[in-house]
Amino acid sequence: MSPSFRAGAREGFRVCLPVSVGLIPWALVTGLAMVGAGFTAVQAMGMSLIVFGATAQLGTLPLIVAGAPLWLIVVTALVVNLRFVIFSAALARPLAGAGVGLRWLCGYVLTDGVFATTLERLRREPDPDWRLGYYLAPSLWCALLWQVSTLVGVLAAGSVPRSWSLEFMASIALLVLLVPMAKLRPMLLAAVTGGTLAVLLRGMPLRLGVMVAIVAGIAAGFAAEHWQARRAGT
Amino acid sequence: MNYDWTLWLTFALIGVVATTLPRASFIVLGERASLPEGVLKALRYAPAAALAAIVVPDVVLVNGAVDIINPKLGAALGAVLATQLSRNPWLPFIVGMAALWLLR
Repeated sequence: MSPSFRAGAREGFRVCLPVSVGLIPWALVTGLAMVGAGFTAVQAMGMSLIVFGATAQLGTLPLIVAGAPLWLIVVTALVVNLRFVIFSAALARPLAGAGVGLRWLCGYVLTDGVFATTLERLRREPDPDWRLGYYLAPSLWCALLWQVSTLVGVLAAGSVPRSWSLEFMASIALLVLLVPMAKLRPMLLAAVTGGTLAVLLRGMPLRLGVMVAIVAGIAAGFAAEHWQARRAGT
Repeated sequence: MNYDWTLWLTFALIGVVATTLPRASFIVLGERASLPEGVLKALRYAPAAALAAIVVPDVVLVNGAVDIINPKLGAALGAVLATQLSRNPWLPFIVGMAALWLLR
């Protein structure tokens, strides 16, 4: 580890500390919800380590519990994670100096919080070693804090009776993510379209209705953005 | 509920195909690849549409039929209200779970 990597790491850790603390309640809730869905402690921690993504984990739990087909579970997780493709594209240039193995690691530990906090500085900083430390150190710290907090949630959930319906915490968590997104009009339209169609089309075979609802929601949001832009232009 | 080995297959597919691949995609490909502007714009709506498509049926359906007056919907509304009234990250969960237990 070069001195500039360490300097970047220290600075990245410092700026991301507040964001990382915000992960603790999420991780606890995710741990509780996985046990609420009927997972053993080993299964829950297995999912946490393999997936390491709150939205994908919480979003697929209701589908796993309902016995949805595997392809639908995987495609749903992929759709909620599509935002990471955009984040990944933004990070491609700042992290271009690292080896392929390190870049895979950078991908695995990519989270919304560190991305949002570090991107501006990553774009401006000329030293590749410094940039890698600045991104990787807080990301690894967040991953560690996430797994430890999830474990606490998983172990705590073991002493809670099934009748408390802890799995509903997954639905609350998804709502908490959704509400700030829906403050933008086109985003609200995407959510309303997706939610309404998922209910109306619930009778479609293989739960295809969920997929149709998501695609229609994306199309509605995209179309609304166009109209908004055109109206603003005239 | 008991799960068999396919649960681990599910985890592996969610983790590798649906999470790590999108995250690592362009970081690993480097600057050789890029996406058209229109695709990037449309992708921004995917999380909102997907989250709503998962959570709305969960709170308005009771045994497969639409039921507007049910404890889960009340709990969901309480949780949403809590996100509006306070920045406390715990409050939506406390209000939502309390509402769920009280309304049952």
